[in-house]
Amino acid sequence: MERIRFLLSRDDWYHQRGYWVVARILSDAGVEVILGGIQTPEEIVQTAVHEDADIIGYRLMDASPPVVCEILFDELRKRGLEEIPVVVGGIVSEKDEKLIKEMGVKEVFRPFDSFEKIQERVKALVQKTGKRENPKN
Amino acid sequence: MFRKEFVEEIRKARQRYEEEVNQILKRIPDADQEYVTFSGTPVKPLYSPEDIQDIDFLQEVSFPGQYPFTRGVFPAGYLSRGLHIRQVTGFGTAEETNQRWKFLLSKGANALSFVCDDGSGCRADSDDPRVRGMVGAGGVAMDTLYDYETLFDGIDIRKISVHMISYSAYSLACYLAIAESRGIEFKNLRGSMSNVIRNDVECLDIIEYCARNVPLFNAGYLDMRNTREGGCTATQEIAFGTALAMAAADALIERGLKIDDFHHRMTWFVNAGPEIFEEVAKFRAIRKVWAMIFKERYGAKDPRSLMARMHCQIYAPTMTMQQPFNNLIRGTIYALGAVMGGVQSLHVNSFDEALALPTEFSATLSVRTQQIIELETGITKVTDPLGGSYYIEWLTKKLEDEAIEIIDKIQEMGGAFKAWDWMCSEIRNAAMNNQVEFETGQRLLVGVNTLVDEDDIQMRALKVLQENADFDTLYEYSPAFAEKQVARLNKVRSERDPKAVQKAKRRLAEALKVGQNMIPPLMEAVKCGLTRGEFAQVKAEILDMPGGGPYVCSPPAVLA
Repeated sequence: MERIRFLLSRDDWYHQRGYWVVARILSDAGVEVILGGIQTPEEIVQTAVHEDADIIGYRLMDASPPVVCEILFDELRKRGLEEIPVVVGGIVSEKDEKLIKEMGVKEVFRPFDSFEKIQERVKALVQKTGKRENPKN
Repeated sequence: MFRKEFVEEIRKARQRYEEEVNQILKRIPDADQEYVTFSGTPVKPLYSPEDIQDIDFLQEVSFPGQYPFTRGVFPAGYLSRGLHIRQVTGFGTAEETNQRWKFLLSKGANALSFVCDDGSGCRADSDDPRVRGMVGAGGVAMDTLYDYETLFDGIDIRKISVHMISYSAYSLACYLAIAESRGIEFKNLRGSMSNVIRNDVECLDIIEYCARNVPLFNAGYLDMRNTREGGCTATQEIAFGTALAMAAADALIERGLKIDDFHHRMTWFVNAGPEIFEEVAKFRAIRKVWAMIFKERYGAKDPRSLMARMHCQIYAPTMTMQQPFNNLIRGTIYALGAVMGGVQSLHVNSFDEALALPTEFSATLSVRTQQIIELETGITKVTDPLGGSYYIEWLTKKLEDEAIEIIDKIQEMGGAFKAWDWMCSEIRNAAMNNQVEFETGQRLLVGVNTLVDEDDIQMRALKVLQENADFDTLYEYSPAFAEKQVARLNKVRSERDPKAVQKAKRRLAEALKVGQNMIPPLMEAVKCGLTRGEFAQVKAEILDMPGGGPYVCSPPAVLA
């Protein structure tokens, strides 16, 4: 059974707690977490291709969400990869959440979202793409 | 601490008390469950002189301003040196941040701090495609000396204490250039920066240069506050910070300096979380461990080298976006821990911490929190007000013992620079444990895992305020900041003498190549108009450092 491949990248290096905790929560649920580290949107897409990622997790701290998400989706489209689901984690205002969801972000995770919500949502999003046959475990 | 016969009498009285209290507790459900503090220390429901009988008052507690400084570094505590109310500021360009500084000063803040938008100073210039969406977002955009001049406009650095949240020699070079232009001699220049201790030539160059030339500038920085945000415990905060300072001391002594040349300018950045008694004990233990280690193991003689001075910013992971006004209460409680623990300088997080950067409105409330503590409660009138509490003294000793154990383990691993990865994994394990406690409800957080309001009227109140106020009540990032900053950058580029920049760059590269201190040539270079991105580029090329993300060379990480 193939495991879901989740690319987890971040905009900047301060305040990494959420990044590492989410990595742990997902790998505890059987997801293969690829740690992208600090990356520009272009680098994220390159890594997603290279690592054959099923889903991209983008942790945002310093970057303006609509600005960097727009670049990310442009890059994905350029390579015909717009089916890869993108989720965002961090402190994102309601206004920005609306904007980035219109661009294609599937979910915004925030501090204290339950482990179950994060695990289930990621699995459900990948299942929808049908890329991995049975992403259980 | 007490006579044997006295302790024996206490023991008997305690047994009588316990018989009585156990009768009561038997009838209360779950009362026999052990309470474990936020940082993982199991505590009893009561402490008495028995628990501190082995502590020697004169040796271990003593008086403020006296070794081992458990009760404070200054003899008169806040009576001689009032609390520095220092709120982190940084957004947009230097103009916006300068205005916010002046606003905060007008509200009675008496110290300043700015945070750069680049985290480390190894980032590209504001017009580089790698930093799109980040210019002036998480801090103020500071590309050139011109930005520093704008930021410091109307700010008298002789009179007001300024901290730079930047690890970069670039920021120091600009600060020195400003001091020079204002005729301030380096030997009289004060200030501080977040030169976090890491195994990096830039970090050591800054400390060495200041030790030799700018002796009152706080050049070394133990950023345990953000390590704590990353999830570590209070004990690890003490141990990792001390161990990092030991690693820096070893490296600087190897450069030919003596411990008393530089160590008195090492400062702490600490956290203050929800468990306020544990935090008070932690601040006391930091001071004690610091004094003991550097006296006994490093032979420091200058009393200033033994004084752990601290700037504190309260804990943010428990500042919730749910019921946001509750954060005003949390902020007040956490700040009480910091002030009762005797920190020198304080930032209180704004109530909108989990929503956005602070506005003038929310930042003012953070300043007012500190002013109310200082002016209305009397807490600052008595130094180390919790000293002598059986619980606090017991907990101080416990944290101290545990921290020393961790420090010794790190030393066995070859010191903090070699133990870096181990420390990071310890921090992440602690973060996960903490998160699991909240997830399972083992540890409570109002509005999040208990007392959740389906209809969050506090959030509704904030929105009503946003819609009706004629002032900002929720900060929004403006993409116009980037345009404005790029214009500022281009102005410098077009006005500078390219030949002079090239020459200064070559000198800087040469110094880096042969291992000479980078500060003097960098200072000359910033005066010629060298930008932060160009500095990062030179450093990356000569020192062969990899880049990534928005960074030109790899960022020197805070332990997290």
